[in-house]
Amino acid sequence: MAEQKARLEWEINKKTSWLGTSLKELYQYKDLLFRLVRKEFLSSYQQTLLGPFWVLLQPILTVLTSLLIFHKIIGVSTEGIPPLLYYLAGITLWNLFSDIFLGTSVTFTQNVLVFNKVYFPRIIVPLSVVLLSGLRFLIQLLLFFAALTYYYLAGEVVVPLQTFLLAIPVILTTAGIALGAGLVFSIFTAKYRDFLGLLQIILRLLLFVCPIFYPMSIVPDKLKWIMNLNPLSAQFEVFRFAMLGKGQFTADQVLYSSVFMVVLLAGGMLLFNKTADRLVDVI
Amino acid sequence: MSDTIIQIENLSKLYRLGTIGSGTFKRDLNNWLQGIFRKNSDSRAPVPDTKENVFAGKDHLWALRNVSFDIKEGEVCGIIGRNGAGKSTLLKVLSKITRPTEGFVRGRGKISSLLEIGTGFHADLSGRENIFISGSMLGMKKAEIRKKFDEIVDFSGIEQFLDTPVKRYSSGMYVRLAFGVAAHLEPDILIVDEVLAVGDAEFQKKCMGKMKDVSHQKGRTILFVSHNLQAVNNLCTKAIWLQKGSIHAMGETQMVVNKYLGAFQKKLWNREWKSPQEAPGNEWVRILSVELIPHLPNPMAPIDIRTAITVKFRFYNFNNEINLSANLVLFSLAGDCIFDVPSVSGDFNEGMIEGECTIPGKFLNDGSYYFSLYILKDTSRTIFEYEECLHFDVEDHRENIHWYDKWVGAVRPHFPFALSSYDVSKNGISLLNTRHHL
Repeated sequence: MAEQKARLEWEINKKTSWLGTSLKELYQYKDLLFRLVRKEFLSSYQQTLLGPFWVLLQPILTVLTSLLIFHKIIGVSTEGIPPLLYYLAGITLWNLFSDIFLGTSVTFTQNVLVFNKVYFPRIIVPLSVVLLSGLRFLIQLLLFFAALTYYYLAGEVVVPLQTFLLAIPVILTTAGIALGAGLVFSIFTAKYRDFLGLLQIILRLLLFVCPIFYPMSIVPDKLKWIMNLNPLSAQFEVFRFAMLGKGQFTADQVLYSSVFMVVLLAGGMLLFNKTADRLVDVI
Repeated sequence: MSDTIIQIENLSKLYRLGTIGSGTFKRDLNNWLQGIFRKNSDSRAPVPDTKENVFAGKDHLWALRNVSFDIKEGEVCGIIGRNGAGKSTLLKVLSKITRPTEGFVRGRGKISSLLEIGTGFHADLSGRENIFISGSMLGMKKAEIRKKFDEIVDFSGIEQFLDTPVKRYSSGMYVRLAFGVAAHLEPDILIVDEVLAVGDAEFQKKCMGKMKDVSHQKGRTILFVSHNLQAVNNLCTKAIWLQKGSIHAMGETQMVVNKYLGAFQKKLWNREWKSPQEAPGNEWVRILSVELIPHLPNPMAPIDIRTAITVKFRFYNFNNEINLSANLVLFSLAGDCIFDVPSVSGDFNEGMIEGECTIPGKFLNDGSYYFSLYILKDTSRTIFEYEECLHFDVEDHRENIHWYDKWVGAVRPHFPFALSSYDVSKNGISLLNTRHHL
């Protein structure tokens, strides 16, 4: 009997592990990961006239709207930077956050049919969302650089080449927070659909609590604590500093953001792994 | 060859019933708080884990209960049972989709499960894309799919439409493509749910052939759920009959299938009432008994399309000098009337009346049927209707027919049918021979 047991390689039982699937198994499913990214990318542009240009159209329209509202009507300061560039930087980073957060938080609700019929490590789905959002982000970043080049040639901005690299940790931290929060929310939305509604509200509120359309420097001291509580605030300031040379942040804020990201992402991953296989019974 | 490849021990799965809403949220919160304060990790479990809680109560359901069996390498195992017997749950646990509540499954090798065909298909994308999507979801590597791509396209016969979005496919094409991908999986263990029930007859034949191929030539282990007992009989070396989440019978296919059929047929073959108060009836007549007697060579054998069936019924007539007759009406389970046979009519006085009618063999098609009995006065006015008094199933039987699909038609009569062959030459036409049914 013992000999026979040794020859059986795997076991399915009621225990689920916090660490989830092994990296080895995850690696075996890498083709699926990339296939899902491709599927989502292709399918979002089927039967559209503009196709992949939608990736660019969305930030362009948002920037134009914010130009109208925040620059022309309200007249918020953009710290001497051309407002279009200023808003574009913020919106590009925001899109990365909201794409990942929204995409991953519906992992279970959107994939009920598949999860009910076929097994693969569930973490593949949120990971594919991260990759796809990353891809969209890179395309939008190109748009930003195009705009930057235009203003540079027009002599309206100075390009701070030496700080560009600072953007990399910002992008990783922002994506990490989005994924961590998305994973936690995916578990909640799987069981209680109320969280889907909550999600929209959170995103909308968060959009205005992040210094996207205004600089940190104009926030009154009495309200600064709200901005400081938001781990994303510092990221937007650092991002703008990296890209445009203007931003107000302290080391504490950056540290807070990073620790927040690590804790949230680790917590989200562990929770996701532990519960994913059980959730299929309640979706 | 005879090594154990899957070992299942004491597998149980408990489902919580009812909707998820504020009630469940309260309970979750409660369990959670209790868990924090009492440090009692058991109270957080959503389901009772102890063996004593065998009867889960009305808000829980044991979809599987203490199921244990082994599958040897190369075996093709059919799983049969009524709806809700736990067949699909078993497959879901085996394919790692859901976790068991208790017990474990051990095994070796790669499992691929085919619980539905076309899982992950995206309607807007082309057939080509979907082959890759579906393939990778089922666990194939990109290189593997590439290698099999032409074979898959060939098998499904959609070459012309490879770059058309699958939403424009006919349902037949869609199914063919979806199964085509699945059929080219190369796992050590293949798990198949009732997927053969879709598609046209031609295609089903192809699927059955493919499954046979996979099991015989390549020596793969297959677990196969089906309501199509003909297919189970044909394909499987071993069968498991699940009932209410537990194994009711297991072993050689023919034996299990026969037991299965026998159990359900006996159920409504005989009805008798001890006292007239309980019996169905009214002021005119009261039914005493109804009975279905199949003419079987062996009492354990199922009724199949060759079996003649006699229906016997008795009722009590309360009136004197009344003209009575009976109609025996056969319906398919779907409610379509197959035939309506009237008895002779006659004048009766108060007393018991017995009727008997025999339906010849080689007449009904396979399927599930029920009889209704109507009692008429003056052959025109129905005075009592006894609906659905006898239920029975007719099994298929085919000899020398390589066709595994459902035989169509309300009935399947064995009319004389001859084929003659002629020699056609310059000298004229001459009869060579004529073939008749035996």
